[in-house]
Amino acid sequence: MMSRRMVKSAMWLVGGVLLLISPLSPAWAAAPPWERVEAVRAVLGGETPVPGGIRLDLPLVSQDGSAVPLTVEVESPMTVDDHVEAIHLFSTGNPTPEIAVIRLTPEAGRARVTMRVRLNESQSVVAVARTNTGRFHAVARDVRVTVSGCLARGNDFDDASFMLARVRAPDRFSPGQPGEVLTLINHPMETGLRQNGDGNLIPQRIIHRVVAEVNGSAVMEAELHRSVAANPYLRFFVAPTAGGTLAVRWDEDGGESTVQEVPLRLP
Amino acid sequence: MTRGRINRRQALKLMGAMGAGPFLAAGGRIPPAAAGGSAGRVVVVGGGFGGATLAKYLKRFDPAVEVTLVEPSRRHFTCPFSNLYLGGLYEFDALGHGYEELVRRYGVQVIHSMADDVDADARTVRLAGGETLSWDRLVLSPGIDIRWGELEGYTRAAAEKAPHAWQAGPQTHLLKKQLEAMEDGGTFILVAPENPFRCPPGPYERVAMVANYFKSHKPRSKILLLDAKDNFSKQGLFLDGWRHNYGEMIEWVGRSHDGGVVRVDADRLEVETEFGTLHQASVLNVVPPQRAGFIAQRAGVTDASGWVPVEPRTFASRKVPGVYVIGDATEAAPMPKSGFCANAQGKVTAAAIVADLAGVDGPDPSWANTCYSTVAPGYGISVAGVYGVREGHIAELAGGVSPADADAAFRRREAEYAVAWYRAITQDTWGTA
Ligand SMILES: Cc1cc2nc3c(=O)[nH]c(=O)nc-3n(C[C@H](O)[C@H](O)[C@H](O)COP(=O)(O)OP(=O)(O)OC[C@H]3O[C@@H](n4cnc5c(N)ncnc54)[C@H](O)[C@@H]3O)c2cc1C
Repeated sequence: MMSRRMVKSAMWLVGGVLLLISPLSPAWAAAPPWERVEAVRAVLGGETPVPGGIRLDLPLVSQDGSAVPLTVEVESPMTVDDHVEAIHLFSTGNPTPEIAVIRLTPEAGRARVTMRVRLNESQSVVAVARTNTGRFHAVARDVRVTVSGCLARGNDFDDASFMLARVRAPDRFSPGQPGEVLTLINHPMETGLRQNGDGNLIPQRIIHRVVAEVNGSAVMEAELHRSVAANPYLRFFVAPTAGGTLAVRWDEDGGESTVQEVPLRLP
Repeated sequence: MTRGRINRRQALKLMGAMGAGPFLAAGGRIPPAAAGGSAGRVVVVGGGFGGATLAKYLKRFDPAVEVTLVEPSRRHFTCPFSNLYLGGLYEFDALGHGYEELVRRYGVQVIHSMADDVDADARTVRLAGGETLSWDRLVLSPGIDIRWGELEGYTRAAAEKAPHAWQAGPQTHLLKKQLEAMEDGGTFILVAPENPFRCPPGPYERVAMVANYFKSHKPRSKILLLDAKDNFSKQGLFLDGWRHNYGEMIEWVGRSHDGGVVRVDADRLEVETEFGTLHQASVLNVVPPQRAGFIAQRAGVTDASGWVPVEPRTFASRKVPGVYVIGDATEAAPMPKSGFCANAQGKVTAAAIVADLAGVDGPDPSWANTCYSTVAPGYGISVAGVYGVREGHIAELAGGVSPADADAAFRRREAEYAVAWYRAITQDTWGTA
């Protein structure tokens, strides 16, 4: 369980953010969540999302806010002419709204990403996708959280496994067809909001970037924030046209990096 | 008629004053309604912790309610303490509880059959024999069903080789036999699911009880717990308790260390994890993904998750009027899927139904839960919670776990309390401790 002290500091910060985003009038309350969150409006830059075309899957009720599974998928042909460039994920109830930004290229083949996120309390989660043609899609989903995500472990993190990374790709690809890649790295994702035993804040230290390259060119780049669960878990697609190597690199705030390579086999 | 009403009102007042909940058990009988007048027909499906408790407390609160309980088994064998049976600390027969008290003492009509279907518009339940029962209010407490095939390779047939033993009965015997037949030096693998599932501490108590059996019979054996989660109920207490009692025998691998199992090969007793590691077992115990018992789906009360959303105050279905659902089948988080919770929900919902039939407001609900886990003979740990409704949701109002630094005498007492708890709750539910 999180300590009482941690509850207080987290709540205070949540309160601070809520002051900025809380609906002040009934009209605001009726607006979709993406219009109510400053950080989301900044991404939209005044554009209105087209309806549909994006799906966000989260459990209706989560019994563990420290790692809530999330999948987002955007309908897109993922061609050079028409593809998803970025998917932004936002929390409306965490101390800071950004969860992650996933940047894709047509070589991803499919605009679908799965990860695990921290949710401090019951709230809506928002996903906004931007295509290369400047189109936006947005969706919001409500999640009820019964145990706070600020249960954020870290003090019981097994140091021996720090930066230990795993990648799994399909045994075989068909040329140009998307296949799902699973990645996992052991890292406490220290939020910067927790206090140590002496009551001082433990500085933020997170994996802030994950990059996947197929034969040397970037296919997916994820920018992660403190609302990504400890031991970042990320699933995405790649659609290689030739055999070779998939390399995944993780960068963290302490200046450490890890690279894992796996072969990509085509017939 | 009027007199009957008044009596029931008085009864309801009394229930309110006592605060419905486990402690209601202390209350006496309530005077019956006017002779001949039925206060309504209630059909209860499932005679486990939730259903048997509810049927009994309906009759205690208002004997004029006609209560029919549908349950296929003549004796319900409980999951609670089935781990102790596997560990050699409890007799299987002592886990069985019949329905004599409900019938003889409380006048519940018990029909030993399976409910096959529900017609919510006609307000009927169809039984396996084709017979139909009419109801004014229907209660479902069917427990869980396994989501066969959700975990690749884990089918009904696979469970005959790699048992789940998550419903007490033949599956429990099968697992026990396999453990007994295993050679010393073998590996027992338990696969634990994601939330939500029946009995959050159950997998962790189970490996402790298997370790207890190994310790005296097969001391060179190993236990591997492959988990789809990174944290679990009473984690610190279990990890300490395992180490204290069994040294390095039990190894737990959480999801972020590649503990998530994605495929089961029951013929080869082999499992594959998310990142492709293969593990070979001598005995393989799979606690699979679950959902509400199938009758809940037939009644149309489940949602996309496979569980049943309920009104927090009463456990009335959010989807179908006149139907109440309690126990493991419901989405009642933060209340865990435990026998103790199902029992507490049975009492609160019995009070809500009596109030509903009488056309008055029910009492404010309050539920309590304690889950004891036996780590070793004379070594028990617990988690307790008190729940109420806040802002339209069930909330934990107080709670905690056993102290991390308790001494041996404390752990011994908690092991004794566990046995006392089992006697008390089965006495309260079936009258057959
Ligand atoms: C290994 C293990 C250990 C556990 N230990 C504990 C513990 O120590 N403490 C604790 O509090 N809880 C414990 N539990 C959890 C407990 O078993 C459940 O939470 C509890 O049984 C839930 O009660 P229920 O009424 O929802 O379901 P059940 O008790 O399973 O009852 C359901 C009943 O409904 C019947 N049924 C199902 N479908 C139909 C139908 N269509 N028609 C007619 N009848 C039907 C079934 O035959 C069954 O008798 C444990 C569970 C396991 C697996």
